[in-house]
Amino acid sequence: MKPFLFGLLVIGLLAWAPLVLNDYGTGLLLGLTGYATLATAWAMFSGPTRYVSLATVAFFGIGAYTVAVLSETLPYPLVLVVAALIGLSVSLVVGLATLRLAGVYFVIFSFGLAELVRQTVTWYEVNVTGTLGRYIFLPLEARHIYWQLLALLVLTLLIGIYMRKSRIWLALVAVGDDEVAARHAGVDVTRTKLALFALSATIITLVGAIQAPRWTYVEPTIVFNPTISFLTLVMALLGGAGKLWGPIVGAIPLFLLFEWLSANFPNHYSIILGGIFILIVFAVPNGILARLETLGQRRKGEAQ
Amino acid sequence: MFEHLINGLVLGGTYALVAMGLTLQYGIARIMNLSFGDTVIAAAFAAYVLFTALGLSPLLSLLIVVPAGFAFSYGIFSLIMRPLVRRSANSEALEVDSILATFGLLFVIQGVLLVLFGGNFTSYSYLNVPVDILGAVVALNRLSALILAAVLGGALVLLLMRTRWGLRMRAVAISASSAPLVGINVIQTSRMAFAIGGALAASGGVVISMYQTFTVTSGVVFTMKALIVVIMGGKGSLPGALAAGLILGLVETFVAAYIDPGLTLASTYLIFLALLLLRPSGLFGKAS
Amino acid sequence: MSEVLKVDGVSRRFGGLLAVNNVSFAIEPGQIVGLLGPNGSGKTTMLNMISGALKVSGGQIAFQDQLVTGLPAHKIAKRGVARTFQLVRSLPSLTLTENVLISAAYGRERLWGAAALDKVAENLALVGLEGRGDEPVADLTYIDLKRMELARAMVADPKLLLLDEWLAGLNPAELQIGVDLIRRLQQRGITILLVEHIMDAVRATCARCIVMSAGAVIADGPTDQALADPEVIRAYLGDDDA
Repeated sequence: MKPFLFGLLVIGLLAWAPLVLNDYGTGLLLGLTGYATLATAWAMFSGPTRYVSLATVAFFGIGAYTVAVLSETLPYPLVLVVAALIGLSVSLVVGLATLRLAGVYFVIFSFGLAELVRQTVTWYEVNVTGTLGRYIFLPLEARHIYWQLLALLVLTLLIGIYMRKSRIWLALVAVGDDEVAARHAGVDVTRTKLALFALSATIITLVGAIQAPRWTYVEPTIVFNPTISFLTLVMALLGGAGKLWGPIVGAIPLFLLFEWLSANFPNHYSIILGGIFILIVFAVPNGILARLETLGQRRKGEAQ
Repeated sequence: MFEHLINGLVLGGTYALVAMGLTLQYGIARIMNLSFGDTVIAAAFAAYVLFTALGLSPLLSLLIVVPAGFAFSYGIFSLIMRPLVRRSANSEALEVDSILATFGLLFVIQGVLLVLFGGNFTSYSYLNVPVDILGAVVALNRLSALILAAVLGGALVLLLMRTRWGLRMRAVAISASSAPLVGINVIQTSRMAFAIGGALAASGGVVISMYQTFTVTSGVVFTMKALIVVIMGGKGSLPGALAAGLILGLVETFVAAYIDPGLTLASTYLIFLALLLLRPSGLFGKAS
Repeated sequence: MSEVLKVDGVSRRFGGLLAVNNVSFAIEPGQIVGLLGPNGSGKTTMLNMISGALKVSGGQIAFQDQLVTGLPAHKIAKRGVARTFQLVRSLPSLTLTENVLISAAYGRERLWGAAALDKVAENLALVGLEGRGDEPVADLTYIDLKRMELARAMVADPKLLLLDEWLAGLNPAELQIGVDLIRRLQQRGITILLVEHIMDAVRATCARCIVMSAGAVIADGPTDQALADPEVIRAYLGDDDA
């Protein structure tokens, strides 16, 4: 009961925050919640299975672009549903084609997927609709977007908590460890991977869709910015992709650092970013949380 | 028709050259290098600077840029990859680690290029004179790009197939764990393969700069295409990379000419997917 | 009931190599059958086809009177075929309990929660790993890993157990424990097909042996008879000469 009440209190505080914060503060909180959700959703699949997905921005962009295209013709909630369905379908096709093969094919395919989707959308816009770039006019303020993202984050975490108590988590970790052993224990490896990849991709698509109204003007190069895939990955890895709270623990310091860097070193942003990432791969291969746990155990060991 | 064939061969030759570099890095050094295309683009910018600032022809700048690509990759391997190779328990762990580390490197290289050159499309005009070959009109720069790719690629194949040094490389590619048993220093061989891969990337960059427009962010596409060629051809197989590169170049040129230039990448992906599903070990790869 | 397993004219080709050539045999319920033969005779390939790890190139395999040819491994596991591997396959991120639990959760019974954990504990006790469920498998010794694999196979209440050189690499004392364990499984009514090189262990456990050489069955019958077959002796000695 206690953690439940504590959780409610934290969610309440976070939901109340934009009412007292200024625009900048709300914007910061919004961005942070967006990345926390992205990283958590990413880790939901890639953490246990160790299939590194570099396709985050492909789905994020699909979500954002769907909103840009449909926001004037359909009611907003329906637009979100359509976006989620498109994300789901794309992830199922990509997953079916690549997840049966060795992990490295999946990584490579996901690496280029964003570029493929971006070029295809650009081609479609130029040749079929004859426009490149769209305006989104939705009566949504920053705090409305933030509340939706917060709800999505809570939902994602609840799914994560539920998953860890159910057999699917065991199957996912087993798939990450040894697919052959998992298969002979009765796990339908392909379906398990596909289901989780699709779930994770759908949540990522929704983050893109919800955040889209923040830009009033949208074009493929804006919403398919590969930095988003990159940051999501870095955050999840820094915090620890195998842990429920890992991605959020990684997202908070890194998001603030990136905000500060892009404000102060706009030109050298990408260089510093890449450097930090290489350092993370070297210094904390299993993430901060795992590192903290081993430190904790060592301390306990010393005390005994 | 014939003109498209030649243009397709030029493009395909360049892809094959670049992909040979990647197949050395992935097949022998076992590093999946996501920053490979950015090395290519960095070399293209270097050739551009040497041409516009010093008036150096791309053929001469190869003499500077290729050794620089070698040295750069040699350094990257010693600095970043070697510790990863050492700590990884198995090749799978190394694959993931190298993907992540080179993903970071991609952003570093791109960031440096962005600071130096900005985000605009870049090209220069070199040997941009039409040549008539059997009735088809082809730019001389494209023709020389094709010849260059053939010479460089051919030299590499000869080295690998005919020399003792090449034998050592191929031994590591086949089994990195048993190569030490016959006295091969795997780390040294891997570093050499990685560095030569970098040199090939650099030469590919110079060749590309002769006839294509490029930007700081085009690296991703080159990495992607090189990866597709490597996988299509079979990991570590040079003849495979050659064949797959040519196929890719031809398909792209014909799709651009007869269907739509905006769909070339989509067609590349389609071939890739079809191949993965039909022949997962690649055109020349051995069935596992 | 009729046969638990019926292999009918099964072949497997790897490129130009015919690893298993038109093999047929059947196994009655409750039998322990040894699958013997020199290295490269196609024993493990045969096990891999029965468990669904490999597709057959020709022929049919029936399990409990139903064809399983072409079914994926996880479906065959769910029907009640469990196996161990020549080289132990553990799941190093998981604890001992979880390594066994996976098969309880996804195997024939699809157990979860307290029922599954009870079942896991029971099977850990059966193989001699009582009370050690919380240990990470990365810390286990070789024999304990082998025990874990057996518990993982047994927890799903399989009808047919495939053991691929499960006794290999054990020292004499451990070997005795292993042989006793296999006998105890038989008392539970499980049918076992085991690939083994240790002849003493084969004699101590198997009433019947199938001997393969170069992909084909060269002898099939009561253990003593099969091992005394002149062609079997030639196959083994020929192997030694090479």
